[in-house]
Amino acid sequence: MRHIRAALARVAGLFAGPRADDDTRDELQSHVDMETAENIRRGMGPSAARRQALLASGGLVIGAEAVRAQRGLPWLENIVADIRYALRALRRSPAFTIVVITTLALGIGANTAIFSVVRGVLLKPLPHRDGDRLVYLRQSLDGPGGENISFSVPEVHDFRDGAKTLGGIAEYSQFTLILQGTNDASRLNVGLVTGNFFDVMGLSPVLGRLTRPSDDGPGVPPVMVLTHEFWMKRFGGDPAIVGKQVKLDGTPVTVIGVLQSAPFFPDRIDALLNMVISPHHLSALMVQGRTHRMTEILARLAPGATVEQARAEVAAVYSRMQRENRESYDSASHYRVEVIPFKEALGERARLTVWLLMAAAAFVLVIAAANVVNLTLMRGVGRDQELVVRAALGAGVARLRRLLLVENLVLTTVGAFFGVIIAFGGVRLLTSLAERYSPRANEIRLDAVTLGFTLTLAIVLALLLSLVASVPREGTLGGRIAAGARRLSGGLQQQRVQRALVVAQIAVSVVLLAGAGLLTRTMIQLSEVPTGLQTEDVLTMQVQLLSLTSGFTPDAIAASRTGYDRIQREVRALPGVIDVGLGSTMPLQFQEAQLEVKAEGRALAVGEATPRAEVRTADPEYFRAAGIPLRHGRAFTSTDREGSGRVVILNQVLADELFPGEDPIGKRMAWTGDVLRFTPFTGDWRTVVGVVGNTRDGGLDAAPRPAVFMPFAQELTVGGGLVIRAQGQTPSLVASATRIVRAIAPTAPIENVLTVAQIKDQSVAPRRLNAALVSSFGILAVIIATVGIAGVLAFSVSSRTNEIGIRMSLGADPGRVQRMILGEGGVLLASGLALGVGGAFFAARIIRGLLFGVPPHDPITLIGVAVTMAAIGIGACWVPALRASRIDPAITMRAT
Amino acid sequence: MARKQEVQQGTLALMILRTLDVLGPLHGYGIARRIEETSKSRITLNYGTLYPALLKLEQEGFVTAEWRQSENNRRAKFYALSVAGRKQLARETREWHQTADLIAAFLAPRLGES
Repeated sequence: MRHIRAALARVAGLFAGPRADDDTRDELQSHVDMETAENIRRGMGPSAARRQALLASGGLVIGAEAVRAQRGLPWLENIVADIRYALRALRRSPAFTIVVITTLALGIGANTAIFSVVRGVLLKPLPHRDGDRLVYLRQSLDGPGGENISFSVPEVHDFRDGAKTLGGIAEYSQFTLILQGTNDASRLNVGLVTGNFFDVMGLSPVLGRLTRPSDDGPGVPPVMVLTHEFWMKRFGGDPAIVGKQVKLDGTPVTVIGVLQSAPFFPDRIDALLNMVISPHHLSALMVQGRTHRMTEILARLAPGATVEQARAEVAAVYSRMQRENRESYDSASHYRVEVIPFKEALGERARLTVWLLMAAAAFVLVIAAANVVNLTLMRGVGRDQELVVRAALGAGVARLRRLLLVENLVLTTVGAFFGVIIAFGGVRLLTSLAERYSPRANEIRLDAVTLGFTLTLAIVLALLLSLVASVPREGTLGGRIAAGARRLSGGLQQQRVQRALVVAQIAVSVVLLAGAGLLTRTMIQLSEVPTGLQTEDVLTMQVQLLSLTSGFTPDAIAASRTGYDRIQREVRALPGVIDVGLGSTMPLQFQEAQLEVKAEGRALAVGEATPRAEVRTADPEYFRAAGIPLRHGRAFTSTDREGSGRVVILNQVLADELFPGEDPIGKRMAWTGDVLRFTPFTGDWRTVVGVVGNTRDGGLDAAPRPAVFMPFAQELTVGGGLVIRAQGQTPSLVASATRIVRAIAPTAPIENVLTVAQIKDQSVAPRRLNAALVSSFGILAVIIATVGIAGVLAFSVSSRTNEIGIRMSLGADPGRVQRMILGEGGVLLASGLALGVGGAFFAARIIRGLLFGVPPHDPITLIGVAVTMAAIGIGACWVPALRASRIDPAITMRAT
Repeated sequence: MARKQEVQQGTLALMILRTLDVLGPLHGYGIARRIEETSKSRITLNYGTLYPALLKLEQEGFVTAEWRQSENNRRAKFYALSVAGRKQLARETREWHQTADLIAAFLAPRLGES
């Protein structure tokens, strides 16, 4: 109570104003008067009495000051005074202030924005309970498409029985289902999960319940848990959704709950269901087929177990599995299993890019800070006098330092404030970039931690700036005051610091520019990779008339065949349409599933991996419509129909693999392998009738994927879509073609309505954004560095005006003076370039993984960057050099 | 000359409160005088010590201050004990006695010690 009261009184005291000071003075004066009177009464002379009273007081001013300190909150008043002073000082040099704040805002803004991405995508703890105990298992093998082949149920069981370091193994199978709306349909990406999934993952519902072990197996009703994202997007966050039924592939499914917001891997999904929705997942084929790999494994480390122990145990179990089931693991394909912490797996694709951007942003900040330090140093020299005057008036060194610190804090926090505003804009852009790389992109935000990071940056920068500023050392103030002389150039040491900073700026700029150059060239190289298609002016449209869960009954197949025929006929009749092809796979897209293939009469060499190929279908018009060139043989014809001979068309890469050095036309190939049992395809021999060119279906930077095309009409189960080539007006076809499909198949999902040019762009876009971001950082860095080098030289010139004047009056001609200054800048530039190129060599090795078609030490890029930087640098030196040469000795000498 | 003693933190407040309790409303000079006399000049208070202490007591609500005419017709600021101040004085006096007893007991010569 008494403390609160006292504190309030002191806060009130802050606003007491001058009347309170008068009051104190009067009170102290009355004390002196009374004491003087008393002294006189005791027999002192009046002046002695007064003197004695004053002596006893301990100083009226000191007393008044002590009362003042007790009245208000002196530290607060001091800080306020310092801030007021700082603002005044900064207002006096607006150019300096604006340059510094802008530079800092850009530097801090870039770092804040990128740090929010690093944190959201890589660092933030997972929303899962004890998320750092989760691991992801990945089975892979050699060759395109072998990066992640997932697991079969028997494999899962082996791990569950054998790997005791995995406390819980959740099964998760990626699946698509068609959600029927009232008058449309859309495809859902769902995860079919075992009942223990959510428990293992450590996830909770925000509404309703999650699936549990009692939802496993056959004979239970299908239930669905919505992911938070899908619930918001599709149902607008409707809290009444729990208990409602939706139709998935014609089956009514009850929504039992909404999951908390959480990232999924490897696929983004809309909902999670128990397995019963897909009879296939409960069939003997699935449950017993060791090669029927459709399941992802997510596991929780057993209490006390480490990732290392889990790795060792999983490896042991896996090699036992391979020994006991040799036929399921082609030894030449190098089957392997990795155990990856879940958080790392989530950040896998984003990691290199995000850290690259963070490094680039940090570099920009380094350059910006160097510039600000330089500016502060130059300003500090001009302020020497001011500080000395303040010292003469009684400010101690500590007070001077605090003053500078407050001033720098004002600068950096204002810079940080604008930086955060910049970051707000940047985060949105970066989130859209991160979405391409990371399932955690929606966790990116400018939260308290990020802003704390920004504030820390601001404080560290302010401390740094205060450290380099020249404050007279304790005890030297007197000397400075006595000297009183104006020094302009600062000490030798200060000049060294400035020069070193300029060299560092140039070096860092070169590194950034080199990175930007390499990434830009990567992007250009990539967009110049031939797609293998003859035209990109093609509209694609995935239309699913037949689905796995509706069953591949003969009736359903016949109906979908009729449907596709009608759609094709009607779209072809649209004005401007040249070709309409039907096929399973749209150009520049790929099928996940690969099957093993064999060529007739050709045995595999020892150690040769079994060839694998994508299963695709195409109708007679498909290749022509898609612009895929026919290399040998013929395209399909209308006679390649159901019941006719089994024929296939291979792409070039597969033809070369199956029939090296031979003409493949007329030869026969077949699907093979244990997994065939689980597919609708037979292992019959199929005659190769044609070979088509390779297309970059796995992305422009990936090797062409081997593919087998079967006649569309023979294998409708693979899926279907339209490839439409028209005269020029492709985009305008979207509406009319969609209308036709809707009329014929009202509930079929229509997806991936894209032109081939758009599909291609999706492959290049992330690289383009990468290149653009790093380039803008690079350009920013160069601008700041240019200002830096020009500023330091200009400063050097102005501080040497006297010297130059003397030189010129002694006979140096302007050209010579100019060369002298240029030489001074040249040394800095050359050292910076040398360091920078060295750094670029090192940095390029690190970002090797992000490059395509460009060697990391690409001489063209490095030379180009060095020349550019040199040109800009010389330009920056030229201005001050010119000014130096124009110095009029007569004027300078008089001014001295 | 008697040895000067530093005023211990907190004890000055107690001295001031006690002075006001004994002598009634008094100005700063009078308080300083009284404390000097009571301490037999072992304590002298300069303004930088006395007046902040008075202000602090005022802020805490233990004393009230008002300008008045002094006995010999000078204007001076008089401090008077408030109700809260009287309670505080009683409390601090009690605590001080307890502390003093305790310390005295600790420092008493042990039995058998000569």
